[in-house]
Amino acid sequence: MQFDELLGTHRQELRRGTVVLACLLALRTPGYGYGLLKTLDAAGISSDGNTVYPLLRRLEERGLLESEWNTDESRPRKFYRTTRAGSELAAQLLADVADLTASLHTLNGGTDR
Amino acid sequence: MTSWTERYLAAALRSIPDPKRADLERELRSSIADAVEERVASGEDRLAAERAVLEGLGDPAQLAAAYTGRPTYLIGPELFPLYRQFVPRLIAVVVPLAAVVMAAVELAGGGSYSDAIAAGISGAISVTIQIAFWATVTFVFLEWADSARKARTEIVSATGRWTLERLPDLSGARVTAKESVGEIVTVLITIGGLLFLRGLGTTDASGSEVPLFAPAFTDFWFPALLAVLAAMAVLHVMVFIVGRWTMALAVGHAALRVAFALPLIVLALNGTLVNPAFAAQIGWPSLAEGNGPAMLAIAVGTTLVGGWEILKPFLRARRARGSGPLAGASRRSA
Repeated sequence: MQFDELLGTHRQELRRGTVVLACLLALRTPGYGYGLLKTLDAAGISSDGNTVYPLLRRLEERGLLESEWNTDESRPRKFYRTTRAGSELAAQLLADVADLTASLHTLNGGTDR
Repeated sequence: MTSWTERYLAAALRSIPDPKRADLERELRSSIADAVEERVASGEDRLAAERAVLEGLGDPAQLAAAYTGRPTYLIGPELFPLYRQFVPRLIAVVVPLAAVVMAAVELAGGGSYSDAIAAGISGAISVTIQIAFWATVTFVFLEWADSARKARTEIVSATGRWTLERLPDLSGARVTAKESVGEIVTVLITIGGLLFLRGLGTTDASGSEVPLFAPAFTDFWFPALLAVLAAMAVLHVMVFIVGRWTMALAVGHAALRVAFALPLIVLALNGTLVNPAFAAQIGWPSLAEGNGPAMLAIAVGTTLVGGWEILKPFLRARRARGSGPLAGASRRSA
C-alpha cells in the first residue's frame, strides 16, 4: 500500500471517534444538518453527510441532542441543540482527548511540542 | 422522469420504519436542497449539482442502514464464532449418519450396492445443503429479528463467552470429528449387520422358512438391542459436542455396552440365540448349542471386545482430566 493511502486510512480511523465530540461541541449553538457540515468543515474537521446525518439522529435518541423544526424560513430545517447531558459528555470527552494528546507526547519523548 | 432526488429519497427511505419516515424524509430533503443550493449559488449547473450531492451521500441502502442502526451483514461478530463452530460440527455428525442410513434404506428396499452408494452420496449432498441453509437462516434470524434480540443475548452469553478452558487441548484427550464419525459408523454397521443376519435363513423340506435367529430373540431382544445401539450413536454425538470423554459419559457408555453385550452373552450361553431348527437344517446342530464352539466363541469374543471398549473411554477421561495446563507445567519443571 502506498504511503498516502496508508496515511489516509489511519487518519480516518483516528478521526472517526472525534466526530461525535465535534458535533456535541458545535451544536451547543443550535444548527441544522448541512449547516453543521459547513461548521465542522470550517473548523478543519471534514466529515460526510452520510456519517453526520444519521449520527445526529442517534445522538438525539440517546438524549445527547434535542431537535426542533424551524419553519420561519422558506425551507423548513430541523435544528439540533446539545442537551445538558450532551454538554457534560462532551466536556468529559474533550478532557480525555487532551489527556490522550499529552500521553502521546510523553511517549514521543516530550519533544516535538 | 422523476428527479434524481425523488428517486434517491425513495430508495433510501424504503427500509425506514413508518413512524420515523415522514420526519426523516423532510430532513433529508432539506439537507439535500441546502447542499444543492450552495453549489448552484457558486455557479454550478443545477442538474450537475444535484448529481454531485447525491453521489456524495452515497449508496442509499447504506445511508438507510446507518439511520436504522441495522447491520449491513447477515451474521454479526457476536454470533459468527458460534456459527463457524456449530455448522461444520453439525454437518460432520449428521451427514455421515444420513448417508449411511439412506444407503441402508436403499439396500433394505432391494437396491443394488451401486444404487446404495449413489443414494448415500446424493443423501449426503442434499443433507449438507439443507443443514447449511437452515442453520444459516436460523442465525440470520437471530441476528436480525428484533424479537430474537433477547434470545441472541442469552445464546451468546451461554455459549459465546470465551474462557481459558475452551482452548483446544493439545494432549490428545480431545475427541476429534474423525473419531466420532468412526464410532458412529461402527454403530451403524453393527445395526446393518444385525438387520442383515435377521433376514438370513434357509428353507426346510416342506419349503417353509427357517430363520437363523431363534424366534424369541427376534421378537423381543432384537428390537431392544437396536434401541441400545441407537442410544450409543446418540451418546457418541454427545461426546463429540462436549469435545472429550468425561467420567459421566464414560459411565453412560459402559452402561450401554453392558446392555448390549450381556443379553448377547447370556442368550448365546443359554443356547437361545440361534434357531436350533436352522442349525439342524444346515447340518451343524452344535451351532445353536450353548456349550457348542460357536456360541462359546460369541460369548468370549463379546466379553473381550466389550470389556476393552468399556475401558477405553475411562482412560481417555482420565487423560482429559489430568491434562490441565498445570499438569504440563509440573512435568516440564520436574
